[in-house]
Amino acid sequence: MATSGKQHTRLGEQAWNKMSKVNAEFFALTYGAMVMQLVQDFEDTAAVNAQLDTMGYNIGVRLIDEFLAKSGTGACADLRDTAETIAKVAFKMFLGVVAEVANWNADGTAFSVVLYDNPLIEFVELPPQHCELLYSNVLCGVIRGALEMVQMKVECRFARDVLRGDDLNEIRVELKEVLAEQMDDQYFEGM
Amino acid sequence: MFLQLFIINKSGSLIFHQDLSPAAPRLSSNDSLRLGSTFHSLHAIAAQVAPIASSGIEKLETATYRLRCLQTLTGAKFVITAQPNTPELEVVLQGIYELYTDYVLKNPFYELEMPIRCELFTQHLEKLVERYNAASR
Amino acid sequence: MAAPGQRLHILDRKIAVPGSSYAYPTTRDTRVGIVSASSNAYAAAGGRTTEVSLSAFSFLLSEMVQHVQARVTSIDALERRLEEAGYAVGLRVLELQQFRDKSVGKRKTRLLQALQWVSADMWRALFGKTADSLERSTENADEYMIHELQPITNVFVSVPPDLGQLNCAAYIAGIIAGALDGACFPATVTAHTIELAGQEANITAAGGPRCKTVFLVKFSEEVMRREAQLA
Repeated sequence: MATSGKQHTRLGEQAWNKMSKVNAEFFALTYGAMVMQLVQDFEDTAAVNAQLDTMGYNIGVRLIDEFLAKSGTGACADLRDTAETIAKVAFKMFLGVVAEVANWNADGTAFSVVLYDNPLIEFVELPPQHCELLYSNVLCGVIRGALEMVQMKVECRFARDVLRGDDLNEIRVELKEVLAEQMDDQYFEGM
Repeated sequence: MFLQLFIINKSGSLIFHQDLSPAAPRLSSNDSLRLGSTFHSLHAIAAQVAPIASSGIEKLETATYRLRCLQTLTGAKFVITAQPNTPELEVVLQGIYELYTDYVLKNPFYELEMPIRCELFTQHLEKLVERYNAASR
Repeated sequence: MAAPGQRLHILDRKIAVPGSSYAYPTTRDTRVGIVSASSNAYAAAGGRTTEVSLSAFSFLLSEMVQHVQARVTSIDALERRLEEAGYAVGLRVLELQQFRDKSVGKRKTRLLQALQWVSADMWRALFGKTADSLERSTENADEYMIHELQPITNVFVSVPPDLGQLNCAAYIAGIIAGALDGACFPATVTAHTIELAGQEANITAAGGPRCKTVFLVKFSEEVMRREAQLA
């Protein structure tokens, strides 16, 4: 049975309360330092965007276990449950902000995570030469990596971005494939 | 009294093995590797042959020891053995899972799926086990 | 935001820190200006989330370290890159504090004032505590040490034996260097792993960290000369 909306919010609050905290500005400045290093390392904005996504992915595949261990969330019943869990429990637990789920497609295979408050972009303004930079792209990678570890292959991208002039941040998440658990080779080889 | 802890990655390889008390049986490193992959296979078979949807072996009780397994949704298995009548195996396993998410997965020098060699993880694990051993005496 | 004219520029800001093998980028203009120093950005920041989880920071730092590790071939180079990353943050933190607290904005003229600001005020702003201790080297007049038992960068990190004395708090060393340079007290700052001995080892709970971090702050000649003149 899917968890109700109120339960997601409550789980999110409980998980957040148990976490050790750091100063949000320090976090934002650290993220900014990292983005600046990437901009210096890679000439091309598209390459930086891709690298941010990759780094997010690397974080996501590790972060999912902490989420599962500490949030008290079990397996999600369906994609709607997954979406609410990401928005209300995960974002709250790690970033202290609550996101909303919106814009489901007709099939129920794609949704948006809407962020009004994004701790990554504190103090940030994109100068004109970097207007194509998807500054918070790391978030897309985190979602993608985390879901892959629980057998869901998704595509994530920023549909709307406050730093690029939109009024809110919208991450579009599309389910591509549910991976079936497979017996790996070790089983077939015998012991 | 806890005996041993095994952590098996989602491919079935043993990535961590620790004796938790002097009473633990002596296992060579080959033995423990084999044990890890065997348990992984048995765990999968058990899930497959179950008449209803099952998540595999959780508990094993014998005359001389008990075994508890925590399989995470990401496919890793935390397996702990203990003397019979040791309480709270699930609680300890949950605690160990949390230590793993902190002191292994947040270590930039740890590569996923590889053997765990993180000093802080071992230190905190020993503290955790000692706390539970002391409480149950 | 303290405008440049409000500070006495005794030192040329674009200097190479003595003893280092590269010049820190010093002014905002020489670096890619993504993190804006505009007062609009600082003013607008008030009232939003003030905290995030330590996990978020730790995962971010872990990924930064892994990213750098893949691109360097020595422990020193890894630490230098972490210091570089921290330097920009240090400059910003100083600007932020000056923008917010007009009394703090009064320029520090003496070395010890600047160091105390770093080890107490800046430390509290960033890490929620003051540094464990600040001391002056007995051997070198231009060296000071800031002690921190468990820097926030190292909470979950176990350095493998083959990486020896690598300390991820090099990132914090960079922050200190940036803040000091921004306050016109340029210094080379490095993070060192020191084994706990004697009393300190007993105080930490059994099974606690066996090492602590010491940030070695070595001030530039200009700073020492100026200090001598002001004394």
